[in-house]
Order: sequence, then structure tokens, then C-alpha cells
Amino acid sequence: MTHNRLPVRPGEVIDRETSLAFTWNGRPHTGLRGDTIASALAADGVEVFARSMKYKRRRGIMTADHWDPNLSVQVGDEPNVRAGSRRLVAGMEVSAQNVWPSLKFDIGAANQLVGRFLSPGFYYKTFMRPKWLWHHLYQTILRRFAPGGRIHWETSTHGAYDKRYAHPDVLVAGGGPAGMGAAIAAAEAGASVMLVEHEPELGGHLRWGDAEDLTALADLLAAVQSHPGIEVLVDSTVTGRYDHNWIAVMQRSHEVAPERLIKARAGSLVVAPGLIERPYVFAGNDTPGVMLSGAVRRLINLWAVKPGSRAVVLSANPEGDAAIADLEAAGVEIVAALDARVGEDIVEVEGRGRVRRAVLGDGRTVAADLVVLGTGWTAPTSLLNMAGDRPVYDPTAARYFPNQLPDNVLATGGITGNGSTVELVAHGSATGTLAANRALRNRHERRSSTARARSPEGPMPESLQDTRVPLARTPHPECYRSSSHGMVDFSEDVSSKDLFQASGEGFDSIELMKRYTTATMGPSQGKLETVNAAAVLAEARSMDMVDIGTTVWRPPFAPISLGALAGRIFEPIRRSALQDWHEAHGASPLLAGQWVRPDHYGDPVGEARNVRENVGIIDVTPLGKLDLRGPDVAKLLELVYVNRWQKLEIGRVRYGTMVAEDGVVSDDGVTGRLGEDHYLMTTTSSGAGAVWEMLEDYLQTYRPEWNVHVTAVTGGLTSINVAGPRCRDLLLRLVEDVDLSPEAFPYFHVRRGRVAGVSGCIIWRIGFTGELSYELHVPSGHALHVWESLIANGEDLGIRPFGVESQRILRLEKGHYIVGQDTDGLTKAPSAGLGGLVKLDKHDTLGLPELRASYARTDLPVLVAIQTDDPEIVPMEADQIVDGDSNRILGRITSSRMSPTLGRSVCLGQVDPSLAAAGSKVTILLVNGHRVSGTVQEHHAHVDPEGVRQNA
Amino acid sequence: MIVVNCPHCGPRNSSDLRPCGEVTSRPDPATASLSEWRTYLYMRENPSGWVTEAWYCRSGCRRYFTIERNTATNETRRSEAS
Amino acid sequence: MARHGYTYSAGKLIKHGLTRGDWPRMWRRPEARSSYDVVIVGGGLHGLATAYYLAADHGMTNIAVLDKGYLGGGGSGRNTAIVRSNYLTPEGVAFYDRSLALYNSMTQELNLNVMFSRRGHLTLAHTDSALRTMHWRAEVNKLQGIDSSVIDPQEVKKEAPSLDISADTRYPILGALFHPPGGIVRHDAVVWGYARAADHLGVHMLQETEVLDILCEGGEGPDGKGTGGRVTGVRTNRGDISAPAVVNCTAGWASLISNMAGVPLPITTHPLQAAVTEPCKVFLPTVVVSGSLHVYVSQTDRGELVFGASVDPVGTYRVNGTLEFTEELAGHVLELMPGISKMRLMRQWSGLCDMTPDYSPVMGTTQVDGYFVDVGWGTYGFKAGPVAGETMAETIATGRDADLIAPFTINRFTEGDLVGEKGAAAVGH
Repeated sequence: MTHNRLPVRPGEVIDRETSLAFTWNGRPHTGLRGDTIASALAADGVEVFARSMKYKRRRGIMTADHWDPNLSVQVGDEPNVRAGSRRLVAGMEVSAQNVWPSLKFDIGAANQLVGRFLSPGFYYKTFMRPKWLWHHLYQTILRRFAPGGRIHWETSTHGAYDKRYAHPDVLVAGGGPAGMGAAIAAAEAGASVMLVEHEPELGGHLRWGDAEDLTALADLLAAVQSHPGIEVLVDSTVTGRYDHNWIAVMQRSHEVAPERLIKARAGSLVVAPGLIERPYVFAGNDTPGVMLSGAVRRLINLWAVKPGSRAVVLSANPEGDAAIADLEAAGVEIVAALDARVGEDIVEVEGRGRVRRAVLGDGRTVAADLVVLGTGWTAPTSLLNMAGDRPVYDPTAARYFPNQLPDNVLATGGITGNGSTVELVAHGSATGTLAANRALRNRHERRSSTARARSPEGPMPESLQDTRVPLARTPHPECYRSSSHGMVDFSEDVSSKDLFQASGEGFDSIELMKRYTTATMGPSQGKLETVNAAAVLAEARSMDMVDIGTTVWRPPFAPISLGALAGRIFEPIRRSALQDWHEAHGASPLLAGQWVRPDHYGDPVGEARNVRENVGIIDVTPLGKLDLRGPDVAKLLELVYVNRWQKLEIGRVRYGTMVAEDGVVSDDGVTGRLGEDHYLMTTTSSGAGAVWEMLEDYLQTYRPEWNVHVTAVTGGLTSINVAGPRCRDLLLRLVEDVDLSPEAFPYFHVRRGRVAGVSGCIIWRIGFTGELSYELHVPSGHALHVWESLIANGEDLGIRPFGVESQRILRLEKGHYIVGQDTDGLTKAPSAGLGGLVKLDKHDTLGLPELRASYARTDLPVLVAIQTDDPEIVPMEADQIVDGDSNRILGRITSSRMSPTLGRSVCLGQVDPSLAAAGSKVTILLVNGHRVSGTVQEHHAHVDPEGVRQNA
Repeated sequence: MIVVNCPHCGPRNSSDLRPCGEVTSRPDPATASLSEWRTYLYMRENPSGWVTEAWYCRSGCRRYFTIERNTATNETRRSEAS
Repeated sequence: MARHGYTYSAGKLIKHGLTRGDWPRMWRRPEARSSYDVVIVGGGLHGLATAYYLAADHGMTNIAVLDKGYLGGGGSGRNTAIVRSNYLTPEGVAFYDRSLALYNSMTQELNLNVMFSRRGHLTLAHTDSALRTMHWRAEVNKLQGIDSSVIDPQEVKKEAPSLDISADTRYPILGALFHPPGGIVRHDAVVWGYARAADHLGVHMLQETEVLDILCEGGEGPDGKGTGGRVTGVRTNRGDISAPAVVNCTAGWASLISNMAGVPLPITTHPLQAAVTEPCKVFLPTVVVSGSLHVYVSQTDRGELVFGASVDPVGTYRVNGTLEFTEELAGHVLELMPGISKMRLMRQWSGLCDMTPDYSPVMGTTQVDGYFVDVGWGTYGFKAGPVAGETMAETIATGRDADLIAPFTINRFTEGDLVGEKGAAAVGH
């Protein structure tokens, strides 16, 4: 079934020796290597490829390229594949999408009968009553008309994708004659060049041209391929130009990924996309068999497919004329050759699955199965828009032209004017030279201006004037609409009549019209329809095209798969040096910010109880650690903490809270003084990065005269907290050269020494659990050894590792608050229960005026310990504290757990100051709606408020 | 992705750095009135045009510096170490 | 008097279909008068809603709405059209719940189908601290009668089957805040509905009219602007218009307009980007938001996935978008729904958001008599449009700040009484 395949064509891209079997709607078909899906099906006689979105009209090939609005198909699990550009692969399962029950018979085609009632925006004007029907019925019906293919979201992986960075001096978007000329000249000028072509081969329109074109193409190809400075990317699209010439290139059919995103920082961008052929608006212009001149030329010359047998051709330009010659050569009978330049026209096409008749401008009706339109060109100014240009319409040439471009973006080729191949190449060449020169000058300047300048290569290139002779703007008739109404937007089923209606209703600017009718909003994103829509609006408002403007073309120039944009998903997780051990010993993972940590080892309550009774060890490496050195560290601490630091002695540790400049509690931790000019600061795990950057900020910009060096050592030191009444016994077995006796090494002191033979460890007597505890900071390379030594030496002492959950239980029993959990984004220092810690008489500390103001207030909430009166009830964290039986909120539970030590539930909460006094009764609203009473406690600590245990 | 010229490291993708917003001047907290302090905290020029702003070279030299950037065009000029 | 002019209905569609008769204009292109009682700067959702409620609720009809471009061309037409009321603070909940109620009855009130799709709104929690915040929001919501609760991963899967709820992902779904009344609205239709109704009530909408200056007298600043002053009108590219009341309903340009009256604002302008895929058969029934992954997604009735994220970190007035937005977005969406990697991004765009220090708006009267602000909406402007219009109308008509907006007046920045939405708002769609 290859009855439409022509004898060998000189420029054909098919390999007649290799046939490829595939299926279309379940039926077997055969194509040739080099075919697109569409060309293979067309060669096999397929005429209808799709149904339109709204009226389910039959649709066939119109442009035979990537932008063809009628050629979106499903290929296996991939929806919305462009059959006009996707190369055929053996075994493809291709099917029409958006049809029900089938392409041949679609129930939705009934919409054609009622089309007159479905005018633009009809859904805004109905389905309003009864109200419930909208939610239950109308919306469901509308959804059924959602176009597009089916995504197989059940798949559980996102597939293999990759990305690449590139830094070409010159990036040329478009590999036609002008683009190739630009690439060659830029490379000659010494620039590194990336030449990107959307189609699978370089050449642009020369590829489907005549013998002369093919010869010119061969010469250009040879020059490009022989130049080592040019990297050619075909089947690739420049999809976006972003600020500072950050260019997105989508490379398809790369060997490692179906689509690869290349991010290029280009010195200069040369925009040479050529022109996109524009449809013509008349009744029946979407009937299968109505094709643009480029489509028939491509079908005939690239794939040797005969597009029809009896053709009517309407031509307004040399390319349309060339189509006539190609059709004749392909054995297609030309039943009418109409010249739009002398006012000849086509008014209507009849036929459902295929063109049958055409009504011409002179009233004649002719039988034909093919109508070919060479009626004009659209400049794809997308990349220019993205570079800030607002192209201007030129009525003489009937298209838009670039207006003002930044220095690093240059346009060439058809987008700037018309010319012979020689003229196009010459303009491209001049543009390439200029682009290269500007890029090389910038590179030279940059290299010589940076502080650590590399020696610029060679002398600075001479500044070049833009002396390019512009390409001519050949006059072209303004062919937009015939005397009848037809489709303007083929993807969205929007006709010129619809646009007239919209304009009449007040949607009379191009943007409003677009939004109301959805014209240009579909998958082709305006490439075929924007200019026609503007022309129809101009007609409706009796305005000039120049005054209408166009909608802004937004990126991407061609759609990009989410997989390609994502690339390899790289979401690193931080693991302490002990994480492998934890996992090998049954730790349940907890993702906390960037870190994964042991939540528990199977028995959080038992682990917590063991800390109170024997000894436990926990990996607290994520704790932020900053090494501070220099003579002015104390001044820095005084600035960033709310309390005093000037008199901290060597070997002493102090707790501090930080507030931001607005007085809100931002972080907390302990800082110890290790030497005369040496401190170690700890921060919350999540705040480690922010605190570091904040310290640097104040040191560099506010007090540059202070001599302080900050080094982040969070990952370099593995932190192990050893806690429990028997922890000293354990450490006595492992710690050398530090006197661990309570007299020599009391609570809130710090020492340096050897642990399990590892020197340089830092040992703190601090802890979050309220037990006697030591925190060891061990060089991470030796951490596993120290950890395992602790486990081995603590066996007879009942040692068990414990995780984050046990620590949360223990710290809550002890009443230690957590910044960000027991405080929130508005919590000021008085609300955190900091009491006398805050020193308001300092000269300078972060947020000082706000601190003072906050301590003058009596209406701020207060952090208190709460116990439910029924000890069995554990409120959920975030349960609200309410005013009796009313719904007035007076606070909330911020932390809650069942305390294994007390055998009752314990909480922390933020409450209204009226409830802050010890003994106050609070009403807690549980998630199940029950209200239970609780009592505010005297101390934050539910267990050991006197601190006997930690001071032991 | 704009390019920001770090005075120490040279031109870098902005994702290598952290934008810190308009440069503000911190009043003396010991003497500032609450109203002056809150103007420093909250009020911003937010011009459409050239603005002097701070950046932090977080993946490079870890220095704060200032540049001038045109918020209408994203052009940058004059980068200075703090 | 009907509030909306020519009544739309199925019957009218049939009538127009049969007769092929022209539909009437939804609004006029009027000639500007030399003076109005109220001049509203900004012809987006907020400005038009304010005009509509001034006319409909307070009988003030000598009003002009000025826009430098076309109606709804700013944030109103660029947002991702999500509405919800499950905020964190009681004042936020009360405010947005009123807005949701207005959205719920809008189709009937304005006689234009704004296609409110009440499809449910899921805010995913990937960490236990996020889950805690979800509980907090749910409990506050419930106390104010809002349908809002925390659900577990299996229930999440029931609401949105395409989400990957397996536990071994980088960002496992531990649960979600589920808000059934949330949903999406056809954003342009809301703008047109208010515009059509306002026009019918006599409001002048002056498109392509750019405000160049706000005219003041008596203030302590230059040209009589600033504290203690009084508004007398505006200067536009089409001439001066006098008015005793001028309302700043702009987004993206709020600082620049406000400076014209000598009223500085606590605002920085950042782009908020969005993107849409090609259509596919509908598979995602709810709105899904992930704060940790900085992404929100819904599928339109046309089958397109609409994505948004948090605002760009670099403040700018440029709206041409960035590539990295689409890269991060795609990566994060595929974390949630790995099966959709073959869907293609079709278009990206961005709008300008005026960010305030506490992620809450600046509304009401100012230190300049007759100059009102309805600005600083950050990423919440669309959700709040109807209630903002209603309360601003009350404020303008009565001269005193409406109760619902009392927490949002500009004074809070001098008094240090910020609103607590920030915590819940990093990506609050």
C-alpha cells in the first residue's frame, strides 16, 4: 500500500532499501527510513490524522512539519507527538488522539451541527443554573472535550534524561543558508560556534528546493562540516533566550537521552529561524487536502510523496510558484493556478474527509482533491521577543520585522528580509562576522577585568561597525482572509467569525481577544495563527495592522518535555559518617532538612527510658558547628546573641539565643571558649547555613574592622551525645588526658582531649536530655571508631543508641524548647520564656530596639509547660487552646509526648498572657473535637526542674 | 539566569550567589527611635531602574559585595567589594 | 436594577445561534470625564471589584478605573487561579473565607460563568514539621468553620492517584492538609464579570490610560504630597483628572504609584512565574501544592497542567521569565508524579508580585487623605480579589477601614504588629 510514493526525487531523504513496519490505530503500515510518521502515512494513503478540538472536524496534513496543528498523535505512552517532524522508528504504535470512539466516527462531531450555538466564550454565558449542575454535570462534559493524548502517569520512574552546559562565543539559531553563512563566518573570525537546526538536517528551505538550491546546499554543508570551530546540532531547537544570553537548546534524539537540555551562555546569539508559512482564512480551510505550499514541496521533494491528484494552487510568492512546478513534476494535475498578486482568490473548499471542490474568487467551482496555499509568511520572532524586541509590522512586505535588538543578539535571513541564496548567505556571513567580533571583544574585556584575570588571548579585536546591507523587503500582498470566514486557530477551532464576535463584545485588543477566544493558546502557540488573528482584529476594528500589535511570544519556542527540563534529578541528602552504621543497626530514617537521621532504632520509648536509667548515645552531627577565631570573637557574640559574652572564660560554655533585627527568635545554641581567641559555636541543624551567612554579613559589611574568622565545621566534626547516669563511667574508660570528675569538669564546660585514642576531640558537658551528658565532637574520619568503641565499652553499662524521637521525648520532659517548633515566625524573645537571659542594656545587639519594645509589652503570648489533667491524654502538637466552650483561640500546644519517666503526658504550649501563671487552667481542643483541661506548670521542665541530674 | 560579576571571582551565574536586596543603612540601635528602626527593617525604595544591591558569593569566595543592577532590564554594572 | 446588564443564558445562546445576531458589548470604551468621585488606578481584578462594589453596594457610580494597558493584563491574567481559605491566622481565614463565599456565588451574581471548579486543595507535607504546621492550620480552620483537615498518604492517593506516595522517595508524602472547598476559577472571566457589571452600573473603564502622577496638596513632602496631605486628582498620559479619592489597586507597580502620593511602602517587587503544559486527557482531579518542593499544580478542564512556584529570589520588574524556573519546576513535579515526564511544557510566563515582610497585604486608608491602598498582595491577590474589592469599597465609601482589613493597614509596620502568615506562606498556593 504505497500508492502515493513517487519515483526517486533528487533531494529525497528516504532510504528506499530500509522499510519500517509500524501501526496506525492498530492497523499495520510500512514506511521508509527517513520518513516522518506523517510522510509514511501519507505515502500509504492516509488522509485524516486527527479530529479538531471543539467541533471534531476531520483534519489532515497542512504544513507537514513540526508546527502542523493537525498532526499530534499518540505514540505508545507518549502523547502529543508531532507526526509532521517525528522520525519513523520500526515498531511504533501510533494512534490518533482526542477521538471517541474512533477517528472515523467521532460522536463529538455532533458539535458541528450545533456549532452556531457554541460561539466563542459560550461557556461563560451558560451552565449557570442550577448551580449544583455546574459542579456535577456541566464541568464533567466540558472535561470530556479536553484535547491531547493520554499520559501514562502510572509509570513509576521519570526516565533517563541529561543536561549539558555550553559556552559558545556565537550561537546560531537556524541552519538555513543565512544561519550556515553566519556560522562559517563567525568560525573564520575565530569564534567557537554552535549551530542549531530544528530539522534533522542543515539546509532550511534549500533542502526541498530545486537543483540549484541543492548544489548551493552541498557547498555550504561542506564548508560547515570542514570547519573545526563549528559544532552542529541538528534535530535541536533553540527554545529560549533569557537574560544575559542564557540560551536553552533542546537536543532531540541524543544517544543518552530522548531529549537533552543544553544550557548555553552565548557571547552572541544569531537568530536565523527563517520564516513560517502562514495559512489563509476562508471557508473550509481546515479540510484535509488543504495544504500550504511548503507542505507539498516537502512531501514531494523530501519524502517523494504525492500529495494529491488534482490541485488548485493559490500563490502570492515565488515559493508558491515553485510548488506548482513541483506538483507538476510529481504528476499532479493543476486544475487552477491562481495568482493572489493579481487579485485571484479562493473562497471556499467543500469536502469532509478530503477536499472535493473549490469555489474560486471568480465564481467558478472546480473539482480538486488538493488545495495548495502560498499566501504568505510569518516571521517567528519568538527569540527576538525574548530579547526584548517588539517587532514592527510592514504592510508592504506583509509581515513583521525586527525592530531594536541588544548588541549581543543579531538577526539574519528571512526574518530580516528576502534574497537569493547568495544574498542570504552573504547577509548571514556579515552577521556572523559581526557577532563573532562582538563576542570576542566581550570575552577579551571580561578576562582582563576580573581580579584573578587570566591573560586574554591576543589583542583586543577591533570594534566593528554594523555595515551590513539589509536584505530587501520584497513586496507581498496582504493575504489574510478571503471574503468568507474560516479557521484562524486550527488547534483551538477558532474561526475568523468568532474573532469578529469577540471584538464586537469588547474584546478588541489582541490580548483580550486571545484570552476570550483562546486563539493562539493551543499547542502551536500562535506560530500559524497569531498574525492572521491580528489581521482579522484589524479588519473588525477597521484599524491598521501596525496599530494592532501582536501578542508576545513566550518561551519555549517549541514544547519541551518535563523529563528533559528536569534532567537527572539531583536532590542530595546529607549523611553523617555514622549513617551507614545506623542503617545497619535498624535505624528508621528521618528526613530532616537536608539530612537523613535515625528517628529511632525500633523502640523510641525504651531508648529514652534507657537514657534516664543507664546510658545512651545519639548522633547529633547535623547540629550546626562554626569555628570562630580571632581577637574580636566576643564582640561578635555580643552582637548576635541576646545575652552577654564578654566575660566567658576559657573552658566555659554558655547558652545563647539569637533574634533577628525584627526581634523574632531566629536560632539558639551553645558556644564554648576553647582558647584565648578560639570559640566553637553551635546552631540549630536547620539554621546552620543561615547563621553562618549572617555572621559573615555582619563581619564583612557592618564591622569589617573586627578580626574574626568563621569556618563551618558541621560535617568535619561528627557529634555524639553520650547521656545518662552511667555515661561518666563509660567515658572514664575511653577518655584520656581530661579529668572527668564533676569538680574538674562541671556542667557547661568544655575540654579537648583524646577519646578512644582519637586526639583533637572536643568534649562538652552539655545536653538536651536533662541527664548527665557529654557531647563529643570527633574528627569525622575517626567517628565510626569512636562510636563503635563507645558501644563496645558500654555493653555492661546497658548502652543503647537512641534516635531523634527519644531525644524529643527527653528534651520535652526537661522543658527545652525548639526554635521553629515551640516558637514561630512572630515569636519575640519574651514569648520564648528567655527570662533574664536577654540583656536590654547592651549598646548593640541584633534587633535591640525591637527587643526593648517587646519587653515593654504585656500582650505577647508566653511559652509554658502544660500538663493535661487526665494524664493519659496526649494532645496532638498544634492542637488549639481555646477559651472554654467558645471558639476563641488562646494558644496552642507546640510540643507533646507521653513521658515514660513520669508516666503521663507532658506538653509545651504558647498561651495568652492571661493563662501564663502557674496553676492556670487551660482548655485544649483535641482533633476529635473533645475539649480537655490542662494546667500550666511552674517550670518548663516536667522532670528534674532543679537540674540535679544534669549537674551530677 | 543572569550573570553577576563578583569582584573577586569574576562573572558567575546568579545561582552561585545569594541576592540580599537593596543596600540599607543600619541605624545605631542604641539611639534609633522605633520608627527609624522600622523604616530600616521594612521600607524599601524598590525602584524600577538602577539600584545598588548586595550579593553574597555563596559558592565562591563567600564575600558580600554590591553591584548596581537595573531592575527594569537586569543590566548590571559596577561591582564593588564590601 | 439588574447588576449586570444583558442577561446571559442557554436561551440567549440558542437565540443568538439561530438569528446569528450580534451579542452586545460587555463594556464600553467611554470618553474620560474631567473629574470623578473616585479614581481607581489599576484595571485588574482588585480595581474592577472595588469599582463594582462601590457602585453596587454603596451607590457610588461616578468612578473611573484606569489601566495603562488592557483590563486584567497584570496579575489578574497571569495567576494560576487557585482559591482557598485554609490560612494559618484567624484574621487570614476570616478574610479569605469571605472571598471564597463571594467566588461561590459570583457566577450567579455577575451572570457570567466564572467556572469555579470546587475540586479540593491538597497541601502536601514531606516532613514532620510540615505535618505539624498542617495540623495547626487545620485546627485554626476548623474553629472558624472551614472544611479543612489533615489526611494520610492513602487518602492523598485517593484524591490524587497520580501522586507517588511511596516512602522511599527523596520527599516522601507524609500526609496533606485537605481543603475540599478550594479549587480553581477561570481568572479572566472574573475580571470580565466585574468589568461588565461595573460598566453596566455606570463605571468608566479607561484602558490604555497611564497614571503619571498623583496630585496632592497640603502634605509635608514636595508638591504637597506625603503625610498630612490630601489627594486632588491624577495626571495621566491623556490629561489630568480631578478626584477627591484615588485608590492604588496596582500590583508590580505599587511602590512607584504610591511614591507619587508620597506614601512609601514596605514592598519589594519579585516575579512569580507559571507555566502550562500541552493538554492531555484529564487525570489530576485536585489542586496539589507542595511547600517543600516549591510547586503547585492543577489540571484545567482543557487538560493542561498549570504549574506555579514561589517568587523568584531576585527582585526585578522584568517579566520575561527564567529557564531555571522551568528546570526546577519540572524536577519537583516529577518528584511528585514521576510518570508524567513525557508531558511537554508549552508556555511559561511571569507576573509581578509585591512582596511585603509578612506576606500580607497593605490595605485601607493612609497618611494622605483620600489616598487609599490595596497593594502588597504578594502571591495571594487573585484569591482575595472579591473580598478586597468589597472591603475597599466600604473603606472608601465610609472613610474608615473596614473591620476585615483592620489587621492589614499600613500602620502595622510602624507599630510592629505584623501578621503571622509568613510561616505558612513560603509557597502558599
